[in-house]
Amino acid sequence: MKRGLSRILLITLSLSFILPMMMVLIWSATVSWPFPEIFPRGFGLRGFQEIFRPGSPALYSLLTSIRISIIATLLTLGITLPGGKALGIYEFPGKSFIKIFVLAPLIISPVAIGMGVHGTFIRMGLTNTELGVVLIHIVPGIPYGIRIFTNIFELVGEDLEEQGKVLGAGSVQTFMHITLPTVIPGIISAGSMIFIISFSQYFLTFLIGGGSVQTFPLLMVPYIQSGDRLMAASYSVVFIIVALMVLLAIEKTLRLYYRKQSGIAGVFYSRKKVRS
Amino acid sequence: MFKVNKRRLKPYIYLFPVISILLFVFTLGLGNSIMQSLGYRPGIGLYEVTLDYYREVFRSGGFLSGLLFSFRVSLISSLLAAVIGVGIAYLLVMQKKEWPVLQALLKLPIIVPHLVAAFLIFTIFSQSGFLARLSVLLGFIETSREFPPMIFDTRGIGVILAYLWKGTPFIFLIVYQLLRTIETEMVEAASNLGAGGKELFFRIFLPLSLPGVFSAFIILFAFSFGSYEIPFLLGPTVPRALPVLAYVEYINPDWTNRPYAMAINMVLAGVSVLLVWMYHWAFSRYQQFRKGH
Repeated sequence: MKRGLSRILLITLSLSFILPMMMVLIWSATVSWPFPEIFPRGFGLRGFQEIFRPGSPALYSLLTSIRISIIATLLTLGITLPGGKALGIYEFPGKSFIKIFVLAPLIISPVAIGMGVHGTFIRMGLTNTELGVVLIHIVPGIPYGIRIFTNIFELVGEDLEEQGKVLGAGSVQTFMHITLPTVIPGIISAGSMIFIISFSQYFLTFLIGGGSVQTFPLLMVPYIQSGDRLMAASYSVVFIIVALMVLLAIEKTLRLYYRKQSGIAGVFYSRKKVRS
Repeated sequence: MFKVNKRRLKPYIYLFPVISILLFVFTLGLGNSIMQSLGYRPGIGLYEVTLDYYREVFRSGGFLSGLLFSFRVSLISSLLAAVIGVGIAYLLVMQKKEWPVLQALLKLPIIVPHLVAAFLIFTIFSQSGFLARLSVLLGFIETSREFPPMIFDTRGIGVILAYLWKGTPFIFLIVYQLLRTIETEMVEAASNLGAGGKELFFRIFLPLSLPGVFSAFIILFAFSFGSYEIPFLLGPTVPRALPVLAYVEYINPDWTNRPYAMAINMVLAGVSVLLVWMYHWAFSRYQQFRKGH
């Protein structure tokens, strides 16, 4: 294939996925755009004013969403980091089975999972509570956390930790100064992915939260259903910008920490890079 | 002696939290669903185990057409996503420059939630959407009704498009990362020996990326087969996608309807277990393949 042709094909294909996003951006900033006009009648920020007006349910639900997703992300990281370490470093009976089992939430329908645990959650008093929503949000993030940490620990191994222990570091010291700094890149990518999954969640939130836990996606759906494109578009834009901002904040804070701690880990990574 | 035991126990201790959560969800959750789907509901005094609910579910037209709809929509959207995703990745690898801006923009749909993807498809493909407006402008149609329905339509075109829009960047990302690691020497050697674009694609790029594409395809298929949001917002009421149908049965105020919802859920999970098996098969093949190189 000629270079020019392949370039045109690449750009056309990519644009057909990138341009649709412009539609949402344009809709969010219109005043009115009746059919069959091809251009909006005017531009304004009514949708955003409605979302950010003081005391608006949207603003409140945005805070609820961020809170739930950050707690769910921290909990998921907390359980998948040691799990990934076990799968990445050690050999033990049952390993291959567990490796498949932890992928199950990626494959089995959240509808089946949600309705399955719904009864148990009711009996435990977890439905209609934020705690219940946080707990159910952990499930879909597990496969991503496990996969990323398994890969990282397969690469890093246990040598550095052993050396630290030989030199007299305790478990807490080893974890804080060796394990954590070496897996920071994994925490950033797994954390971002898990946050996005939880932040986007709709079905599990409304099933377990029962309408009492109003997250941002829950408020957005009625606008999409009723065809209120201006509001639906404004919600979408706010959603994407907030998600990007949180992801950026996660990355920046952790990178800062990483640089401070990177004495040993930095050396390790640069060495790996040179070798490969 | 004790030390050896502790060392052996270590991975299990590390895995304990994550495994106990998954066991809780899957044994209690799916266990409950299985019992209810078999009509065993001690809570309301039903102890008889029966396959009647499955029989009835399979006999009902709504279920079969829903199963077919879900299967068709998932298969078409994941296949198209795989083909286009591989295509974009291959075209990008063949460029001299890395095109970082294009790459970043292509990754953006991954963080866009499915709800927004559904809305986005709606603004473009609905009968009052952008394409309909364009058709009016070009004189193809006069009223919005003349525009072929692609949203809420029985063929599920809108649903397919929404999954395609979300899935393609996912495949692209996985394949592009795989293709980039292929040594340039291998490619150069091949082109020195006279391999053209076609040979490079079919002899080097495709075989090396196929296992990754396959597992990504399985993930996409399973996701679109089992998720609720997109068919709920863009799908038709007849036939209903299986996850939507299961939820409709579930919230039916008549409690005796519950077992039907659970039987549908078991079919959803059953197809998924089949997929896990295929995924495992693909993954082990992939590992062997990598070891062979």
